[in-house]
Amino acid sequence: MILLLGSISGQAQGKLLSPTDAQDVRKSISEAAKSVSSVEARFTQTKELSVISEKIISKGDFYFKKEKLLRWEYTDPFPYLIILNNDRIYVKDEDKENHISLQSNKVFREVNNILIGAVQGTLLSDTKNFQCSITDLGNQFQATMVPLSPRIKETLSEIILYFNKNDYTVDKLVMREVSGDYTKIEFSDRKVNQDISDAKFIIP
Amino acid sequence: MRNLLSLNIILFLCLTACNPVNKSQLSSSGETSFKVPVWSSPFLKAYNKALFRTSLNIADKHLTGISIIKRTSDSSFHFTFANEIGMTYFDMELYRNKFKPDYIFDPLDKKSFLKVLQRDFSVLFFSFSEGKPTRKYIQKGSGEAVYMYLGLNLYVWMDIRQNTLTGLAGWSNYFDAIIVKFREYENGFPGEIQIENPRIGMTLTFNVLGH
Repeated sequence: MILLLGSISGQAQGKLLSPTDAQDVRKSISEAAKSVSSVEARFTQTKELSVISEKIISKGDFYFKKEKLLRWEYTDPFPYLIILNNDRIYVKDEDKENHISLQSNKVFREVNNILIGAVQGTLLSDTKNFQCSITDLGNQFQATMVPLSPRIKETLSEIILYFNKNDYTVDKLVMREVSGDYTKIEFSDRKVNQDISDAKFIIP
Repeated sequence: MRNLLSLNIILFLCLTACNPVNKSQLSSSGETSFKVPVWSSPFLKAYNKALFRTSLNIADKHLTGISIIKRTSDSSFHFTFANEIGMTYFDMELYRNKFKPDYIFDPLDKKSFLKVLQRDFSVLFFSFSEGKPTRKYIQKGSGEAVYMYLGLNLYVWMDIRQNTLTGLAGWSNYFDAIIVKFREYENGFPGEIQIENPRIGMTLTFNVLGH
């Protein structure tokens, strides 16, 4: 169990950066994110169930376009579509369609903020809601975000972002829940600043 | 005498009002003696674990996601239900007469709701043929055999040709009445399971994604 926790949080490996060095990395990530206008990638989402040692794996396509356009398209194990268009969310689950206001759905609002903040690099600067520490893992920087806001702490105990050192984009995101379970989202086949049609983000 | 009369009236009202089965859809089999069926929940057979696409509808709430049900011992199952983006709604160990919650999403952590859920899972996981049915009916339309266990407040639907359990209905009071439907059997396990609590307007549906 100790080994497992170590491998998730990365606490057992890498070098924890000093506050000054961490500030420099945050600045670099933020600067790099400013030049990112769109991201397209495949993702693999793994939910680890700690009590029964099982995994639930989902896969799909991820699209982001500045400022606040996001499309999560799950393809496996079944189709499920989430479109975030500024403050509106559209969910398509088979034939059922839902329009959700971000203001009225707490979980969606928090996850939306985390995803957009991670891609835009602004999450690391959110000192009001998170305490952030940065570890140098060699080819990645690991940012461990501990929620300060009671609202987020109700659901999540920790968010860990893995930034690629080459371009400071997010390779992997881990959301650890209060229950002890965690969800890992890994990105692959990433295309940055390629043209993505606005039609991808239209809410019907 | 008056107390006995009151008790009988209450018993009669409970039998008629608590019973969630639509008896107008049942016709008498005409059999005065019949072979006592042997049946059990599909979860009591050679079941280890399965992944389900899951939805829960209650009042104005519509929750969807993926759940896993794993057999953890001869007398317990573990149930975890999370939404599509991975956030957990429920994580609990279920026994025949109790449950041990590991995590319950705060807005769903209501004692009365969890009591109904615990009873639903108790019926789903731990039901088997015990006792002798007092009556046999035929379900209009489908032709399924329906066995009534009066003392247990239980109805059991069976596809006699396939020898599979296709439904259960039970109640211990007006509010906890439950109807379970098992559909689309494949390799001895239903592809779809639907649990309905008609009195409180709750429906829980499981569609198998994989074993």
